[in-house]
Amino acid sequence: MRLLVVEDDSGIQQFLKRALFEAGYQVDVAHDAAAAEAIALEAVHDAFIIDLGLPDMDGLDLIARCRAQGISAPVLILSARRSVDERVRGLEQGGDDYLTKPFALAELLARLRNLLRRAAPPQTDSTTKLMVGDLQLDLIRRDARRGDRVLQLTPQEFSLLEYLCRNAGRVVTRTMILDHVWRMRIDPQTNVVDVHIYRLRSKVDSESVRPLIHTIRGVGYVLKDS
Amino acid sequence: MFSKIASTLRSTAAWRMSAKTTVAFALGSAIAFAVMYSMAAREIQQRSDAWLSGEADVLADISIKTPRDALNDRIVEEVAELASHEVPGELNSKGQHVNTVFFVLTGNDTPPIFVGPGSKNDFLKALGELPFQPGIPASLNVAGWTKPFRVVYHPRGTDGGTYLGFADIAAERMLHRLTGGFVLVWWGIVVLGFLISFGGAYRTLMRVERITETVGHIGSDDLSSRLPISNSSDEIARLSATFNRMLDRIEASVNQLRLITDSVAHDMKSPVTSIRGSLEIALSDGKDGRWRDSVETAVESLDGLLRMLNTTLDLAEAQAGALKLRKETVSLSDLIQQLADLYHPAMAEHSQELSLHLESQVTVEADVAMINRAIVNLLDNELTHLPAGSRVAIRVRAAGNNAEILIQDNGPGFPIELRGRIFERFVKGAHSKGHGLGLAFVNAVARSHGGSVTIADAAGGGAEISLKLPLVPVLSV
Repeated sequence: MRLLVVEDDSGIQQFLKRALFEAGYQVDVAHDAAAAEAIALEAVHDAFIIDLGLPDMDGLDLIARCRAQGISAPVLILSARRSVDERVRGLEQGGDDYLTKPFALAELLARLRNLLRRAAPPQTDSTTKLMVGDLQLDLIRRDARRGDRVLQLTPQEFSLLEYLCRNAGRVVTRTMILDHVWRMRIDPQTNVVDVHIYRLRSKVDSESVRPLIHTIRGVGYVLKDS
Repeated sequence: MFSKIASTLRSTAAWRMSAKTTVAFALGSAIAFAVMYSMAAREIQQRSDAWLSGEADVLADISIKTPRDALNDRIVEEVAELASHEVPGELNSKGQHVNTVFFVLTGNDTPPIFVGPGSKNDFLKALGELPFQPGIPASLNVAGWTKPFRVVYHPRGTDGGTYLGFADIAAERMLHRLTGGFVLVWWGIVVLGFLISFGGAYRTLMRVERITETVGHIGSDDLSSRLPISNSSDEIARLSATFNRMLDRIEASVNQLRLITDSVAHDMKSPVTSIRGSLEIALSDGKDGRWRDSVETAVESLDGLLRMLNTTLDLAEAQAGALKLRKETVSLSDLIQQLADLYHPAMAEHSQELSLHLESQVTVEADVAMINRAIVNLLDNELTHLPAGSRVAIRVRAAGNNAEILIQDNGPGFPIELRGRIFERFVKGAHSKGHGLGLAFVNAVARSHGGSVTIADAAGGGAEISLKLPLVPVLSV
């Protein structure tokens, strides 16, 4: 997988390059729109990460020019502008997803994976069951089992567990959980999400010697069969 | 009622100023009058003394030159009578002419001759008690007379002498009338002067009072108000103008400060994001080490910093009226129900009891993301500041043209010293760990939706926050 990161802030550019490289991607970087256009025409990229505030051109114009050249790879927009209006404008004008600065790396990676999966030819996405280790979720009947034990979950807890399972092995942040499970773009200063995770964990991991839900302090949570 | 107004008036600077000037004026004019009075009295006495001395010289001369016999006595008596008629004399209380001149001629062997009003004996008795310098007027009190007589004595060789006395009652009465008139006019002027100066000072100081009131209303949230400028160019108008110029400068500095804060917040976002990202890379490789705990703490601190930067920028946008709202019609009760579901476990963990009283069909036009964030701020406050065992009740109801979200608790309530400015930027309790932006943000969101947020004491102690948004009438189909 080859990515192009267009970002003029060298600090962000460097850490993105390193993080994406460590996540297994091949990364090209460009400081401005002109360089980005040249690189984009030279090689085929699977996805673009484009900052809107470029020194020589608005990021949205760059996207428009790439699209005009027949480049159809998905674009993840980075922006310092947080308003909903900006987000909508970005998505309407050729962006595929929109992430505001400051962002957590885990969220960027998750969104990038989503973009790449959506861009890939449709696979058998009619999943009705999710399995991680001895944890099984039946998405139709909305019940969950750990081994042969049926977990007594509230609908909300089931949604939370489903989200963790869908991202099994990958770290999800609190913001991502709130966004996907509660459908809210909020950033509480308190431990409201953590309490939900503790409660879920007490049901999922209580009687097991192999815990599935892990806390990555400072980042978020990950569900994995270690 | 009247005494209350009077005591209110007495406490004003106008009262004190006019009272002081009036007392000074009254004293000054009274002293001036006293000086004039004594000068006039002395002048009058000198004149009457001069007249008296002249007459006495004539009478003494006559009495010396004529030998003492019966005829002589008659002549002296006639002359004295004539002399006494030279002065206008006085009218007594019955309107009769009162003679105020007396003449006495004494001799060693002859009985004294007395010409004058009243009792001869009283006069002779009074004369006997005083030593007289020949030819020099002296004062003599006579029984039955209020005004002392001025008396000139001339010895008649060794045989007795002549006394001529005169009480200038006309001058006395004139001075009395003058004093009476002065006191009357003086009172009038003092009272009138006090009223005029009090009225003037009061009117002037009321303009100062209005300035004080207006300036008192200008808070840090509203620096745009200005004092009205009158057409006159007196001291008060200049004071208003100066105040306005000062407010201009303050407003400019505050705006500049906000601008700097906001641009600093904006510029910090990129470096903090890249620092945080680099630390996150370190954390996600899964290795353990002594560094891990430090890096985790650093990331958490950066998250706090980023949250503050974001709120600062949101607030700046909201206060500048630049917040672009994407409004949709939503049920406020549904929205609160969702948030309550999210917060319920955390509150239970803090042993806090959360109860909901949601009216259905309370619909508003609102930017859901913004309202959510505002309410999250309020709920975070409850979660952080309430002691364990507290109760929180959230009500959603229609109140007139408004939809109201009422959050009541039985906690310690808001600190009194913060009441007036709790919705201002960076205002927070002494023990609060927050950054003091939360409630300012709630206020900005409420205002941008045409609503309002207020705090009050809940019945039975604790705090009550009311967030009002314009209600969308439900169309019955």
